[in-house]
Amino acid sequence: MRTYQTLLASLVVLSVAGTAHEAAAERRQNSLAKDVAVRHRKLLVKNRFEIAPLFESTINADFRHVVGGGIKLEYHISDKLSIGVIGVASASLNTGLVDKIVPTLETSTNNATREPSQTEFLDHLNSMPFHGAAYLSLTPWYGKLAAFSQAYVAFDFYFQAGVAFAQLKSDCPPTVCTDKTPGQSTMSGMDTIPPDDNPNNDAPLNDGSRLGLYLGGGIHVFLNDFLALDLTVRDYAFSDNPSGVDYNADRFVSQDDSRFLHHLFFGAGLSVMLPTKVKRTQ
Amino acid sequence: MKPLRMRASKSLLFVTLALMASTALAAPKKGAPPPSKGTPSKGKGGSTPAPAGGSGAAGGEVEMDGGDSGAKPKAGGGAGSGAGGGSAGGGEIEMDDEQNKAPTDLAADLAASDAQQAAAAKQGPTVKTPLSWKDIVVVIRKPFLKVRRTELNPFVGTSMNDNMVRSYSMGGELAYYLTDVLAIGIEGNYYQHVFNEPFDLVARQARRLPTVNQYNWSGALDFHYVPVYGKFAVLDHRLITWEAFFVAGIGAGQSEVIPRDTKFPGFTNFLIQPNVGAGMRFFLAKWVTLNFGIRDYVFYDHFEPVDRSTTMNASAADAAAHADGALINNIMFQIGVSFWLPTSFEYTTFR
Repeated sequence: MRTYQTLLASLVVLSVAGTAHEAAAERRQNSLAKDVAVRHRKLLVKNRFEIAPLFESTINADFRHVVGGGIKLEYHISDKLSIGVIGVASASLNTGLVDKIVPTLETSTNNATREPSQTEFLDHLNSMPFHGAAYLSLTPWYGKLAAFSQAYVAFDFYFQAGVAFAQLKSDCPPTVCTDKTPGQSTMSGMDTIPPDDNPNNDAPLNDGSRLGLYLGGGIHVFLNDFLALDLTVRDYAFSDNPSGVDYNADRFVSQDDSRFLHHLFFGAGLSVMLPTKVKRTQ
Repeated sequence: MKPLRMRASKSLLFVTLALMASTALAAPKKGAPPPSKGTPSKGKGGSTPAPAGGSGAAGGEVEMDGGDSGAKPKAGGGAGSGAGGGSAGGGEIEMDDEQNKAPTDLAADLAASDAQQAAAAKQGPTVKTPLSWKDIVVVIRKPFLKVRRTELNPFVGTSMNDNMVRSYSMGGELAYYLTDVLAIGIEGNYYQHVFNEPFDLVARQARRLPTVNQYNWSGALDFHYVPVYGKFAVLDHRLITWEAFFVAGIGAGQSEVIPRDTKFPGFTNFLIQPNVGAGMRFFLAKWVTLNFGIRDYVFYDHFEPVDRSTTMNASAADAAAHADGALINNIMFQIGVSFWLPTSFEYTTFR
């Protein structure tokens, strides 16, 4: 009996000591440690629909700048997650590199020199009249900034990933792209004519639709509760051969000359958030 | 039987004391209901904690959340964790207690202040203190001060706008902050380069050898201005402070012609390089920051002449004399880690 009571008392003491230790340990924790960083925060994007007319231009394009305008439609499922699409119609402008090369090229075709004529060079370059993407967007960072200690504005950083699409266009007329069977021998009567080994008169094969990978990152700078400046760097990566001539040195143009290329764009837009009224967090 | 009963009584007493101690220590874990806004919590007999004092004050902790501590100065007395004047006398701040707030009516506040001043005037010399809401500072102080500190910023960079050659740089900048937003500094860069895809493509496809220069080094005297600072939350939990800055400066550098034909020697150019740029700085600690920036180095460079043979521009001096010139914008993206000296700082004004 004595032993039983002593044992019982010891168990109770140990139990109590353990409970007390847990309680003390829990109380030592900072009660704010698991709290949100900002309370009563304006939910500037959550459950809002974003419409953003935008301007976009390539960054450091090799042969042709792509400059255009379009629209971004995005729905913010939560404060951090959203889905959206973007479409941009564009015009193409020759880069400084093209402007430097073209005047030095021959004005008419001379197969002996193996260099393209001005027309051949230009007609093989492709343009991108339309491109866009469907994406998932993550907004992990939000905050506010003070500019010149006067203007206090909210902002957020976002990152996007999805599927890119592009419509490519090249227009090499038959009078320029005369080789109907690039890289292949042809028969003329009883004679076999070997390939001409001249990629400059081959069809460029760099037009049509492309699907690829889309990556983006940007910033919203909120001018008020429903208007935001939207600055983004976007990468539309897909298979392309911008120069439209031989890349793999097999002396003719084929689909093998296309490779997975990154097309970097900078975009600036004005986002309109709907509904225009915002809610606040607790 | 009697001794046995005595032992049982002692055991019961011991257990009772232990349970009381457990209850006392474990009270904060259970937590009282969150404080209702604007209304003092009502005591529920012994379960409602008394105003904290005993354990909380004795432990030297400051419990910001009344919900966790259960401490309510106006709560009814309870057995709990030991009452006391700890809360009221210990200087705790009730963040959400509307009834404890100062009057929100500025007129009433001023009237009360006038009454206090009048009472003070009867007792001694009058000291008139203007009182206004404008006197109340509501913007928290900057978490990082730069004034009279030196920034040592080693960085690496890459060129952004050259199709043919990509230049990589390693460099450093030493800046001294005259104020919290203005600094003067010196920087130095050492460059290496690689050829981009178009360099090879132009040669193979258009049968043209590109004329390109490489950069060897550069240095500049820079002025920094910091007009923008802010903070952001990462995944709604961690706050990070940052600022944006502009840089402008003047310096010098050297470029070197990469000969199209290695039979002929290249030559170097001395460049006067003004530069402008902008960047962002993220504060990681009082003595270290992470920097990103874009810098545009503007200069007039000289390139290898188009016509070069054994009879024309064969020597480096001849080639340099007949070099083609062009205005160049070398835009570099730079990333670096800044170390700040002294490694700490003190605020000169109250919070």
